[in-house]
Amino acid sequence: MAGIRRLAGRRRPSRGPLALSLLALVTAGLAGCGLGAGTPPSGVELTVSEGFGARVLRSYSAPKVTGQETVMRLLMRNASVRTRYGGGFVESVDNVSGGEAHGEPVDWFYYVNGVQAPKGAAETYVHPGDRIWWDRHDWSQAESVPAVVGSFPEPFLNGIAGKRLPVRVECATQSSAPCATVATRLREAGVTAGVSGIEPGAEPLTLRIFVGPWSALKSGQAARAIAQGPEASGVYARFAPEGSLTVLDARGQSARVLGSGAGLIAATASHEEGEAPTWLITGTDEQGVELAARALTRASLADRFAVALAPGAGVVPAPAGE
Amino acid sequence: MLSAQRPFFYRRLASPLHATGAGVGALWALSLTLATLAIFQPLVLLSLMVAVLGAGAMAGVGGQLRRTLRTAAIVAVPIVAVNVLVSREGLTVFARLGDLGPFGQGDLTLEALVYGAVIALKVSLLMLVTTLASLTIDPDELLGGLRRLSFRSALTASLATRMMPLLAADAGRLAEARRTRPDGGQQGARARVALVGAVVGGSLDRAMDVAATLELRGFAAARPTAGRMMWLRRLVTPARARASIRTRSRHDIAFSLSAVCVLALSLLVRVSAIAPFQAYPLVHAPVGWGTLALCVALLVAVLAPFCDRRGIEP
Repeated sequence: MAGIRRLAGRRRPSRGPLALSLLALVTAGLAGCGLGAGTPPSGVELTVSEGFGARVLRSYSAPKVTGQETVMRLLMRNASVRTRYGGGFVESVDNVSGGEAHGEPVDWFYYVNGVQAPKGAAETYVHPGDRIWWDRHDWSQAESVPAVVGSFPEPFLNGIAGKRLPVRVECATQSSAPCATVATRLREAGVTAGVSGIEPGAEPLTLRIFVGPWSALKSGQAARAIAQGPEASGVYARFAPEGSLTVLDARGQSARVLGSGAGLIAATASHEEGEAPTWLITGTDEQGVELAARALTRASLADRFAVALAPGAGVVPAPAGE
Repeated sequence: MLSAQRPFFYRRLASPLHATGAGVGALWALSLTLATLAIFQPLVLLSLMVAVLGAGAMAGVGGQLRRTLRTAAIVAVPIVAVNVLVSREGLTVFARLGDLGPFGQGDLTLEALVYGAVIALKVSLLMLVTTLASLTIDPDELLGGLRRLSFRSALTASLATRMMPLLAADAGRLAEARRTRPDGGQQGARARVALVGAVVGGSLDRAMDVAATLELRGFAAARPTAGRMMWLRRLVTPARARASIRTRSRHDIAFSLSAVCVLALSLLVRVSAIAPFQAYPLVHAPVGWGTLALCVALLVAVLAPFCDRRGIEP
């Protein structure tokens, strides 16, 4: 009887599963799936530091890369890493762990081409030419530092998430010397940039560099965020109305006050995902702006979150004192 | 049909493990469980699995263990699959599934596959050890030991263990009755749900009967009477168990020594680098002479008590 039932229940083989399998294979191919590790990205750099870049623990101009890496895998391949949450969160690098230091919260954060990535390191792929920077720092004053200057000439050269973006230098006075200096510095770094006057409004898909004295820039969105302090902008420096520049330490306290002739190079971004960062090359006056424009080099900015400059004081990292 | 699907219950067979006291048998099974939890080296785990399967065969329950192994394989596949999909700690990517939306990037790594397989192996081993223990350790004798600690808990456990075969038999009878219908009865998930519902309903009926019997025997009285206690003792401690108040046999000693050896070897694995294993970020599982010696030692420690076949008859 069971045999009869089996015979009666026998059906013609359906083509549905085969069609579905073929469709899945085609979709997988289009979605960038594949076997093996994938193609390794070229020209990648990796830096591991602590204290807002004050102490570099590891720096690789050509780190070990095998296949299509995520930021997490790149770090794990080149340093001794302990992770949590199934490999999604870095607990320690080279036995330097997050948690608490001197009563303040510290943790590992990472930046790709000077931009804090919106996703976890295990979800972010490394693209050719990317500069990956891991830094363990105190986040008591700023839970998020959305953009930093220490990866210059990134993000202007290779863009964000593998996508190059248009670069525009927006100057308070287009014919000024600092404006020309910034354009020259970018050209020397291999960046093609347009130059214009300051345009109102936001342009989320353009990398904008504002050049001019603080008095001319302070009404802009990025400058307003910097004026509100590290929590809003991630920049540990503040301009005072009387024309001085105060560099803050990691706890948000005043560390150095720079008088007239002081300049600042800083980057910030809104916390909205996918929005390009904005750089400010500014100063207490024209002299300070010129000083800042001249410092737009890889050597001056390397591994700094932001830098302040003053005649006789050299390059002062912001935050200071770590 | 019924016998082929018969659940795993204790039946006294002629084997050294069956001839061992329940307490010693439970200790031996516990030592195997602890070893399974302590060891991560895949080769050593495989040798332990071979030892457990060998022990099952020598105890006359090899067939049931093979069935458990098939069930374990069904459980193992999702364990490996989930670990491969979820873990982000490995470095050797063997396949890329692209962006999986809320699950992040779908890079599958060899390390996650290996670690998932190790966990699946451990789960399979635990299932095998549990099956072996349930088939070879007399639950009545074990509960007899528990009676000294908590009489009512022993009674409850004893009633529960006696209910299991009854419910299994109920399920078998109901399934058989359904198959005898002219149309062959319902098939698939709905039929199984209906069967489970009937068995659960039957179990509640039985529970009511047992509760009424206990009440009639005076269990609900505020103070226990001597007669009631004697009845309960007879229920909890059956004649075989009462008769088994005995001196330690050679099998007790052999299995006790086996348990001690297995525990010592497990401890050795934990405190020394004799069988190192690391899954992340890169698989590191060197196999040296120490690892091989440990595998052999575990096999010998688990299987040696089965060599003495004297006095194993029920």
